Amino acid sequence: MPAGRPGPAAQSARRPPPLLPLLLLCVLGAPRGGSGAHTAVISPQDPTLLIGSSLQATCSVRGDPQGPTAEGLYWTLNGRRLPPELSRILNASTLALALANLNGSRQQSGDNLVCHAQDGSILAGSCLYVGLPPEKPFNISCWSKNMKDLTCRWTPGAHGETFLHTNYSLKYKLRWYGQDNTCEEYHTVGPHSCHIPKDLALFTPYEIWVEATNRLGSARSDVLTLDILDVVTTDPPPDVHVSRVGGLEDQLSVRWVSPPALKDFLFQAKYQIRYRVEDSVDWKVVDDVSNQTSCRLAGLKPGTVYFVQVRCNPFGIYGSKKAGIWSEWSHPTAASTPRSERPGPGGGACEPRGGEPSSGPVRRELKQFLGWLKKHAYCSNLSFRLYDQWRAWMQKSHKTRNQDEGILPSGRRGSARGPAR
Amino acid sequence: MSQREGSLDFQADSSISPLPLLEAKIHQTHSLARLLTKYAEQLFQEYVQLQGDPFGRPGFSPPRPPVAGLSAPGAGHAGLPLPERLRLDAGALAALPPLLDAVRRLQAELNPRTALLRRLEEAARRARALGAALEAVLAALGAEPREPRPEPAAAAAAAAAAAAAAAGAFPAKLLGLRVCGLYRDWVSRTEADLGQLVPGGPA
Repeated sequence: MPAGRPGPAAQSARRPPPLLPLLLLCVLGAPRGGSGAHTAVISPQDPTLLIGSSLQATCSVRGDPQGPTAEGLYWTLNGRRLPPELSRILNASTLALALANLNGSRQQSGDNLVCHAQDGSILAGSCLYVGLPPEKPFNISCWSKNMKDLTCRWTPGAHGETFLHTNYSLKYKLRWYGQDNTCEEYHTVGPHSCHIPKDLALFTPYEIWVEATNRLGSARSDVLTLDILDVVTTDPPPDVHVSRVGGLEDQLSVRWVSPPALKDFLFQAKYQIRYRVEDSVDWKVVDDVSNQTSCRLAGLKPGTVYFVQVRCNPFGIYGSKKAGIWSEWSHPTAASTPRSERPGPGGGACEPRGGEPSSGPVRRELKQFLGWLKKHAYCSNLSFRLYDQWRAWMQKSHKTRNQDEGILPSGRRGSARGPAR
Repeated sequence: MSQREGSLDFQADSSISPLPLLEAKIHQTHSLARLLTKYAEQLFQEYVQLQGDPFGRPGFSPPRPPVAGLSAPGAGHAGLPLPERLRLDAGALAALPPLLDAVRRLQAELNPRTALLRRLEEAARRARALGAALEAVLAALGAEPREPRPEPAAAAAAAAAAAAAAAGAFPAKLLGLRVCGLYRDWVSRTEADLGQLVPGGPA
């Protein structure tokens, strides 16, 4: 036994009493040094109340007749002394309190209502739990990463502010059979979320709902019915590479790999590319790259650094007809277009949405023409590659012509200059 | 190690001289105590904040009877011989873990899903670790072992926690305040006492 005042627990051969009740008896009932054996009892003890309701409480002193009487007692709530007009002496040993129109509790462990003796010492305490019952949670959304798990998120009713600790429990079961299960891994993607890591069935719908419970009641969300295959997402495409297309000043080639976790299922997957100029925050998006793993961005500015990202939607997994869920964007990859003397076009894409008509439709028509030529004419070595080579040659010869004629980038003619000093 | 007031009297026998390894162990244990003193203060502050006012307010003076099996370091503690002080420190550190566990169970009802619960668990582990390290130092120095104290069984403590929850939220808050305060006081006391064992430490 540490030195100091002798503790109440005697060093005896008897089995020691249960720890906590003894601890609490010591806290509540043991004599304070020099103050005599007197405590009090507050009633009600730890009540739960609705916001706006009233409370009638009493503090009854017990102990020796020489101890405090109701005359000298006073109340505090969360450390603030309550006005005397709220109190009333019921009898020699009991002080009553009337509180009206209560506000929500300041902390989830309860508001501290304390009965004090005249000298300020604490005689008793009770914790008030003032709040609201939970409202119905709503807006449940779920997704499955690579068909292996399920994560769900929801919005608490009434924006979650009940002033009381409210427990949210995500429940799920197979639609036509099976028992209710409770999700166990909470707060995985925010305060109102839960993650089910394993043992999920495919090809059969689940029913999912959220139950909210606090001291004042409970509420249950509507049931969401879903098939895991309809809410699949996956990892961003790995190994995204962006490179120049020969000497073409307005193009970059983007290549990537299908997300490996679902690579055997991505027949109908869709990809989306977004890109932006280095010092801009505005992304341009290329939609519906279908299930290719490469794309050529065209109509770009020459001599400019571009950041590019790709994401995947595993649409059509196991025949699912639902829209699918886009993955996160891949890490940005950067590359620059070759420099040019003449100003380049504004910007475009390999499949622009409302993009420049000079780029997309022209190339599409050219592709069709080349395809027709191969079938109907003896032009077996004609190809898009040949067309791009021709473009590069055109740009070079345009550059050379400008230099010979002393034409500046703006199109103005300039004079020859001597060596720099 | 030079003789000075408060230094280790049982070093007088020249056949028992501190090995470099022992000195390192003492340093290490002292450093651990210093670190845990900081953590214990943080735990105390976090605890009072979650219980709400008036807990943590200056001048808040709730009842402070001794908790069963453990009281605060007495006023006379500093005047005791160093070996005795270290033994009392070790005894207190051994008594604290079940108390901290009991407070954690009560706070699981009062403040569920808060970081406080993890901190209380960590505090119990740290008290065990510091107590074991201190016992090892005492054993290496040839000090008499402290008297064994009866430990409540985990199941009995769990049942007691359930019973205690029925006593009311405010008494449960007071209990936790007392235990967190004792933890802080004893860890700080251990740091100070070990500091006198460290070569070059305060007299």
